[in-house]
Amino acid sequence: MIGMPRLWPCPKGLILIMILTVISLTANASEYQLLLAKGNSAYSSGNYKEAANTYNSLVSQGLESPYLYYNLGNTYYKLNDIAHAILWYERAKRLDPGNEDVNFNLIVTNNKITDKIEALPDFFLKRWFKAVTDMYSTDAWAVAGIAGLILALSVFCLYIASRVLMIRKLGFWAGFSILFLSLIFLMFAWTSYNSRKSEQSAIVTNPTVTVKSSPDEKSTDIFVIHEGSKIQLIDHIGNWYEIRIVNGSVGWVQQENFEKI
Amino acid sequence: MFFVVNCEGLIPTIIYMVFKRLLLIVGFISIYAAGFAQDISFQGSAKTNVSVGESFTLTYTLNSQGTDFRGPRLSGFDVISGPFTSTSSSIQSVNGRTSMSVRYSFQYILQANREGTFDIPPATVTVDRRTITSNSLTIKVSKNGAAQAVGNQGQSNGNQRQQGNVQTGPNDVMLKAYVSNSNPQQGEGISVTYKIFTKVPVSQIMFSKEPSFPGFWSQSLTKEKEKLQQYNQVIDGQQYIVADLRKYTLFPLKSGKLTIEPLELVCQAQIKRQSKTRTGDPFFDDFFNDSFFNTSYTPVEKSLRASPLVINVKPLPSSGVPDDFAGAVGSFNFHTELDRTSVKTNEAINLKCVISGEGNLQLIDKLNVSFPPDFETYDPKVSNDIHSSEKGVSGSQVFEYLIIPRKPGKFSLKPISFSFYDLKKMKYITLTSPAYTIDVEKGTGEAANVTYTGANHEEIKYIGSDIRHIKNQVFVLDHTGTYFFGSLGFILWIVIPILLFFVFVLLFRRFSERRSDVVLMKNLRATKVARKRLRKAELYQKEQKQEEFYVEISQALWGYLGDKFSLPVAELSIDTVKQTLVSKEVSEDLIQIFIDTLNNTEYARFAPGEKSVNMERIYNEALAVISRIERELR
Repeated sequence: MIGMPRLWPCPKGLILIMILTVISLTANASEYQLLLAKGNSAYSSGNYKEAANTYNSLVSQGLESPYLYYNLGNTYYKLNDIAHAILWYERAKRLDPGNEDVNFNLIVTNNKITDKIEALPDFFLKRWFKAVTDMYSTDAWAVAGIAGLILALSVFCLYIASRVLMIRKLGFWAGFSILFLSLIFLMFAWTSYNSRKSEQSAIVTNPTVTVKSSPDEKSTDIFVIHEGSKIQLIDHIGNWYEIRIVNGSVGWVQQENFEKI
Repeated sequence: MFFVVNCEGLIPTIIYMVFKRLLLIVGFISIYAAGFAQDISFQGSAKTNVSVGESFTLTYTLNSQGTDFRGPRLSGFDVISGPFTSTSSSIQSVNGRTSMSVRYSFQYILQANREGTFDIPPATVTVDRRTITSNSLTIKVSKNGAAQAVGNQGQSNGNQRQQGNVQTGPNDVMLKAYVSNSNPQQGEGISVTYKIFTKVPVSQIMFSKEPSFPGFWSQSLTKEKEKLQQYNQVIDGQQYIVADLRKYTLFPLKSGKLTIEPLELVCQAQIKRQSKTRTGDPFFDDFFNDSFFNTSYTPVEKSLRASPLVINVKPLPSSGVPDDFAGAVGSFNFHTELDRTSVKTNEAINLKCVISGEGNLQLIDKLNVSFPPDFETYDPKVSNDIHSSEKGVSGSQVFEYLIIPRKPGKFSLKPISFSFYDLKKMKYITLTSPAYTIDVEKGTGEAANVTYTGANHEEIKYIGSDIRHIKNQVFVLDHTGTYFFGSLGFILWIVIPILLFFVFVLLFRRFSERRSDVVLMKNLRATKVARKRLRKAELYQKEQKQEEFYVEISQALWGYLGDKFSLPVAELSIDTVKQTLVSKEVSEDLIQIFIDTLNNTEYARFAPGEKSVNMERIYNEALAVISRIERELR
């Protein structure tokens, strides 16, 4: 059950590596699942502090799952720590952007924060592209792309081997369509992978944060944001980060005011 | 005069005389008026020294008939009443001369409200269309009691009392506030009593300012028009008559230092008069000023003010506050009653919740009751039976909920809880009602009460919003930051299928090449083999070996076709030959000739006649047809 590196579905050459990792991990697997069950039962009985501790210990052991993050977000929500609830929901969303539960709770929680920032509308094609990309996780797209590639190659084989004209014709066109689709899937995987790797967002965790015009305590105050708001990190100089909020406003804040998603 | 002169020459003497008289009268009147005007006086008068809170009279007197009195702007004083206008007129007859005098007076009753020296600007009045201005006054307002005795500007004619000489001692009349507990908990009832202490008779108590209780919920315990209970009390060796003027029960609504604004009142203290009647006769003066005769009381206006009370309210403990705590403090019982638990739809159920005990009952205005959403509910009917006394507030508060189930089914009513802070036990206590189950059967009279709107569907009612529950089932945990995309596995999954594909293409090509070689070879060999066979047949023909000849010819023909079109020997028949040749676009007549040749070969074997001739013919036919097909296929 417990995480092997994402080699499934696994080619023959890597079976050995896989088996090794599985052996090394299954030793801990039951322990992790036990911890998870402990956290879940603590949550269900309303003991949110303990649930948070248990989940956090799993996270600190370098484990992740959209649902682990989701459960942690729920726990913080129940502890009335809205900023951290949003932070963990956003982390869950990063792993599985299309997850309905995560998105639902994120909306509910975002209704509780102070700031109501009007998002700048994106160009509609960009918006659509992002919406489609966000439907599945990076790896789901990758798997879909590979499945498409394999299917397309099989169909091409059929085209080559067959002497029946109908099959050959069908195989040719179907092969190209599937290959095209698979390339699109792989492109989605690539863009979502890229955006997740390069795009740095954060959640404001301090109750009130004054955004400065430059990375200097003495510079002009531009605007004030409150805990739970999502910010985008553009640049940083030492401890100071240049941030952008969804309405496009840009300013500088110090690192202790937010946590990276 | 112009008129008179004008008349002089025109009008007769009588008329002239009349005018002369008229002129005289006019002249007299004007002289009189002038003299009168000089006598007009408009004087303002009041005490020059007053104490704060004292009320005094400001009088403007006018010895003529005046209209349009405009009073001064009064700063530093409250106008209690006024201006009142009064008129008096007197007719005097001295030595046969009768004189009439008119007095107008305008009176204010003022109260000094702060210390200092204040100017009262002049007032104006209109007499005979002339505006007359009074004098301005300066009044010194000093602290309580200090300056009351100093003489005033009052009239001092004859028998009038010298009010200024009448004084009350500073402790003759006192107003005090008592609080039962100046250090209560938030929500704990306290009582505040205002008592008047007096050594002298007091009458006409007028409350000029009722106390206010910011930060408190208050209830007055004194009833309107209740007779004051009096009793005696000795303070510092002085006997006082005490009366409770006002009693309040207070419940602090917040914690911290809360100030109660005091009660203020004005009363008439009946003070033994030290007045003297001055008649000018020493005997009478002494006689009437004797204490036996002169025991009359003088009412003196006193304004009294209790000192403000500061109540230090302790907050309730912040730890262990129940969720449904709504400020109830005291000791309470809680019980609920549901009149029935099985009903038909649209029948009303009554839920009665009773909170009884001691404490701030009136402040419990609602209970946390949640009914199933399919129930029609109404605001509760709240009734109470509360007794307030100095000792506290006790009684009961009753909430009656009317609920009407609209849908049949089994419903459960969650336990209703009520929390309060127990002052004796010093902790929060939560009382809970039992959970009720209500069985609702489908009623018969439904149609009468329910209106059908088209389809019998209802919108889902959202009662609250919350996050979804955690995922409880087992799910896969991965190592942080591992992506399948871009990993070695991912690349292998891309590269290996592509490699396999190319391997397949390569293998397939080689295989099909090999296969097409065999066909070519056979094709190329076909003619050769056929030739060989034919040559052999020719040899047999010469040797007159009939059997061998025909075998050879037949094998040459069939074999040729088999090799040429890579048909297996088993499939060879007239039909397949025909089909194959048609598909190879060999012309119809050639196919016919080929088939005829095949048939002839079979036939000639067993046909009668000259054998060598037959053999010769068949040989030629076979040779001809093969070379023709060869030519056509090319």
